[in-house]
Amino acid sequence: MTETIVEAPKESKGPPRTAANSWKEWVRENLFSSIFNGVLTVVFGVATILVLRRLLAFMFDHEREWAATSTNLRLLFAGTYPQEQFIRVWVCVGIIGVLLALTTAVWDVSTRFRVSAIVQRGFIVATIIVAVAILAPFSTSARIWYFVAGAAVLAVSLFVRGAVAKDTTVPGLAVVATGVALPILSLWVIPYGHNALSNGVLIAEAGTVARTTSGPWTVVLILTIGVYLAVNKLVPAESRDRLRRPVIGLWLLLPLVTVFFILRDPDFDYGHIATTEIPIFLAYSIVGAALLYWLTDTDRGEVGRVTAAVVLLLGLATFLTPMLQLIRILMLTLALFALAAPTFSGVAAARRRYALTWVLVVLGMVWFVTAANSPSTVDTLGDWFPSGFSITLIVASFTLFLSFPLGVILALARTSKMPIFRVMSTTYIEVVRGVPFITVLVFFVIMVPLFLPPNMELSRLAAVVIAFTLFGAAYMAENVRGGLQAIRVGQHEAAEALGMSGLQKTVFIVLPQALRVSIPPLVGQAIGTFKETSLLAIVGVFDFLFIARTLISGQTFFLGVVQENLLFISVVYWLFAYQMSKASQRLEKQLGVGER
Amino acid sequence: VLKWVSQVGLLIIVVSAMVFMATQAGSNLQRTNTPTGFDFIGDSVGIQIFEGIDTRPETGGRALWAGMVNTLRISGAGIVAATILGVFVGLARLSGNWLVRKAASIYVEMLRNIPLLVQIIFLWGVFIGLSPLTQDVGPIRGWLHITNTGISMPRVFGLNGSFQWLAFMVFGAIAARFVYRARVHKQDQTGATTYPVLSAVGVLAIFGAIGWVVHPIMGFLGPVFGAAASIIGSIPEGLLQVILSVAAVGAAALWVRRFLQSMTSGGGRAKLIDDDYFRIVFAGVAALIFVALVFSLPGLSSWLLNSGRDLFELLDRRFGSGNGGRPFDGKRPDLVQPGNFLNYGPAGLTLTPSFAAVFLGVVLYTSAFIGENVRGGILAVAKGQTEAAGAIGLSRGQSLRHIILPQAFRIIMPPMGNQYLNLTKNTSLAIAVGYSDLVQVGTTVYNQTGKTLSVVAIWMMFYLSVSLTISVVVNFVNLRLKLVER
Repeated sequence: MTETIVEAPKESKGPPRTAANSWKEWVRENLFSSIFNGVLTVVFGVATILVLRRLLAFMFDHEREWAATSTNLRLLFAGTYPQEQFIRVWVCVGIIGVLLALTTAVWDVSTRFRVSAIVQRGFIVATIIVAVAILAPFSTSARIWYFVAGAAVLAVSLFVRGAVAKDTTVPGLAVVATGVALPILSLWVIPYGHNALSNGVLIAEAGTVARTTSGPWTVVLILTIGVYLAVNKLVPAESRDRLRRPVIGLWLLLPLVTVFFILRDPDFDYGHIATTEIPIFLAYSIVGAALLYWLTDTDRGEVGRVTAAVVLLLGLATFLTPMLQLIRILMLTLALFALAAPTFSGVAAARRRYALTWVLVVLGMVWFVTAANSPSTVDTLGDWFPSGFSITLIVASFTLFLSFPLGVILALARTSKMPIFRVMSTTYIEVVRGVPFITVLVFFVIMVPLFLPPNMELSRLAAVVIAFTLFGAAYMAENVRGGLQAIRVGQHEAAEALGMSGLQKTVFIVLPQALRVSIPPLVGQAIGTFKETSLLAIVGVFDFLFIARTLISGQTFFLGVVQENLLFISVVYWLFAYQMSKASQRLEKQLGVGER
Repeated sequence: VLKWVSQVGLLIIVVSAMVFMATQAGSNLQRTNTPTGFDFIGDSVGIQIFEGIDTRPETGGRALWAGMVNTLRISGAGIVAATILGVFVGLARLSGNWLVRKAASIYVEMLRNIPLLVQIIFLWGVFIGLSPLTQDVGPIRGWLHITNTGISMPRVFGLNGSFQWLAFMVFGAIAARFVYRARVHKQDQTGATTYPVLSAVGVLAIFGAIGWVVHPIMGFLGPVFGAAASIIGSIPEGLLQVILSVAAVGAAALWVRRFLQSMTSGGGRAKLIDDDYFRIVFAGVAALIFVALVFSLPGLSSWLLNSGRDLFELLDRRFGSGNGGRPFDGKRPDLVQPGNFLNYGPAGLTLTPSFAAVFLGVVLYTSAFIGENVRGGILAVAKGQTEAAGAIGLSRGQSLRHIILPQAFRIIMPPMGNQYLNLTKNTSLAIAVGYSDLVQVGTTVYNQTGKTLSVVAIWMMFYLSVSLTISVVVNFVNLRLKLVER
C-alpha cells in the first residue's frame, strides 16, 4: 500500500523528543491513559495475538496445499485461454500499463513522500515479519530465516534514517515504481520455483521461473516507465492538459479494444467489410455530419424540428422491412442526435465539434458491431473466451460503462416534473432495489432466451451483462439523484435567466455539477459491482470464484482443495477494492465535496 | 402539450415493448413446451429441505413457505446481531485506545473489501473442516461446541404456558410505562434523582415473577380467540370483497380530500398544476385497480379469510385453557442428539454449518458497514456540542449518552435502514452453501417442475414485500426522530 504512506506523518505528532521519552509517552497516552483503557489494551492485545496465531497456523499448516493456487495462477487469471495465443493477453496487460503511465504523466501526479514516513513503514514491516516468525508454526530453521529477514529490513530502515536529513522527501511515483519493479525484477534472480500443469502432469521445477512469466512482465514494466518518461520529457507541461480528453477516451475504449479486438481476434471477412460496412460508415458519417451541422444552426427553428422528426420516423420505418441491424441502429442514433441538436447549437466551432462527435460515434458503433459479429479464431472451453479474473474485470467494466448513461437517465426521470416519467422511473428503481441480485441474475440467465425472437441468440455472458447493467443502473440512479438534489435552486434559475432550454440547462449546468458531487458514491458503487461479479459463480460462468472453488478442487492433483484458493482470491479482490476505495477517498478530498 | 405527448408516447412504447416480449415469451414457451403457472403450489413436488419448519413438505407451496420462514429467521437474527456488533465496531473506530482503533479499522477494511460470497463460502469451508461432534469437545465443555455439525449452544424455549405469560406481561408493560412517566414527571418537577428507567425495569421484573406463577389466569383468552376464529370462518367471501372494495375507494377518496385540504389555505385553494391532477387521478385509478383485483382474484379474499382463521385457531391452541407450570425452560446442548431448528426439541440449539456460515458472513460483513455509519454519525455531530456539554460539567460518558448519541442516532438511522435491507437481500447468497432459504428452495422447486418464471415471480414478490416492510418501519422511526422544525 505505497500510496497510504502519504497519511503516515499525521500519526507522529508534536515536536521531536528524545527517542526513549517519546516512546514511553506515546504508550501511556494511547494505550494506558486510564484503567479502563489499560484493560482494553490487554484484552485486545491478547485477542489479536490469538487470532493471528490461529490464522498463521491455518495458513502454514502442513495440510495446506498452496501449490494448488500457485500451479493454477494462469487458470485463475486468464482461464482456459489457449497457450499459443497467450501473447494477446500480454498485449492487453501492456496496453493497460501504457495507459496508466500516460494518465500519471498527463495528470502530473507529483506527490512527494517523506523518507521518515517510509522508514516508519519499514519498521512496521519488520515488526510484522518478526511477529509471523514468533507466532507461526515454523521449524526452527525457517524461524531463523524469518528473523534474519526482519532484522535486515530493520537494519536498512535504521540505516536510511541515519543517512538522510530529517525532512527529506522523495517523489511518490519513484517509490511506487520501485515497489512494482522490485518484485518483477526479482523474478530473474530469486528462484521462486515454477509450477505448471501440462497435459495433466504436474511440473514442479524448483529454482526456476519460466521466461514466459518474467520476460513479458519486464517488457511491460520497461514500456510503462518508458512511456511515462517520454511524455514527461517530450510534451511541455502546459500542453499536457489538452491530452486529458484523449486519455479519458482511450480508457473508455480500452474494454472494447482489448476484449473484442485483441482477445477475441475476430476473423474479419474483408470482402464483406469493403462492400458493406465501409460504405455504410461513409454514408452515415458524411450525410449525418452535414445534416447535424445544418441542424445545429441557432436559427434553424421549426424546420429543424420537423427534419429531426422525419429522421426519427425514418428510423422507425426501418423496422418495417428486413435489413441489416446496423442500419437500423445507426438510423435511430442519428434521430437521437438530430433531436438533441437544438441543445448543442451555437458558434461554428461548437457545431463542428458536434458533427465530429457523431462521426466518432458512427465509427465506434460500426467497428464494434463488425468485430463482435465476426467469428472468433480463439477457441477455448466454455461459453466465452476469457474466463477467470479477466471475466470479472470485463463484466465489471462493461457494467459500469453501460449502466452509467442508463442511471443518469433514470435519475433525471425520477427528479423530473413529468409525472408519468417519474412514476415509471421510481417504480423501476424501487422494484430493482428491493430484490436480491441473485434473483435478477437467475431470471436473466434462464429467461432472456425466452423473451427474444426465435432467430436471435444471446450468449450467456451477454445475458449476464444485461442483468448487471439493468440492476446497477437503479443503484446508480439513486447516487446521481443525490447529486442532482445537491444543486441549488439558484443554479436552475440562473440558467433559466440566461434563456437556456430545459435540456440545455440539464446538460450544461445541472448534470456537470451533480455528477461532480456524486463521484465518491459512484466509485463506491463501482467497488460494489466489482465485488458483486462473484455471483457469476452461482450461475455457472467460469469467473474467478468459480475457478477457485469448483474447477481447481476438481483437478486430480488437488482434489477438494478450496480454502487456499479462496484465501488467495480474497487477497486479490481485497487489493483491487481497497485501492479503489482509497482512490475515492483521495478524490473526495481533492474535489472538496462537502466543504462548499 | 408536448410534454404530455412525449410522456404518453414513451409509455406506449414501453408498454408495447413489454407486450411484444410477453407474446414472444409466450410463443417461445409453447414452442419449447416449457410449463408455466402456479399449480405446483398445491401439488406434491417431493423435495427435501435440510432445515426449517418442515423438512419433507407435501406441496410446493409448503416448501416455499418453509424457505421464506428460513429467510426471515436468518435475516431477523442477523439484523439484531449486526446492529449490536456494528455499534461496537463504530465506537471502537473512535476509541482513544490506539490498539482498539487500529484493530477496528483493519476489521472494517478487511471485511468490506472482500466479496460477501467469498467470505460465506470460506466460512462454510472452515466449519466443514472441523472435527465431528462425537465427544465433549468445547471450546466451552458442556455449553458450547463448535464442530462440523455446526455451533451447538444452550437455548431458552417456551413451554405451553409461554403465550399466557406473554399476554400477562402486556399488563406489566403498561404498568411499567405508567411508572416511568410518573418518575420522569417527578424528576422534572422537583429535580430529585428518581431513576425512571430502573423503576420501570423493576416493575417489569415484579410482573414477570408474579406472572410466572399466576399466568394460567390468562387462559380465558383461548376461547375468545376460538370464537374469533369461528366468526372469521363464517364470513362469506363476497362480503369481504365488498368490504375491501369499499375500504379502498374510501381510502382513495379520503386521501384526495386531505390532499385538496392541504392545498387550501386561508386565501383559497392554490392553483393545481398538471402534477397534482395526475396524483388525484392516480389515486382513483389505484383504488379501481385494487377493486378489480379483489373481484377478479377470488383466491385472494379466501386466502385472507383462511389465514386469518388459521391464525386465531393457532392462538386458541397455544393458549389452551389455563396451562399450568413454567412458561419457559432452558437446556444445554445435547451430545447424543443435537437439538436444532428443525424440530425445536427440548434440548440446546444447533446452528447447522450452512446456517452458521451465512449468518456469520452477513453479520460480520454488515457490521463493518454499520460500524462506518455509526462512526460517520458520531463524527457528524458538531464539535461545539461536545465542548458545550463539557462546559456545563457533564462527564464524557454523560455527554456521549445525553448529547452526542441522540443527535448521532438521527443521522445514523436512515443509512442503517439501507444496511438492514442489504442484509436481508444478502441472505439469498445462502444458495452457494446450501442453506435452505427461499432462493435455495425455489431453485430446487423449479428444477423439479420447470416453472422458473413462476418461482422467480414469487421470489420477487416476497423480497419486495420484505423490503417494503423494512423501509416502512425505518421511515416511521425516522419520522419520530426527526427534528421538529418551524
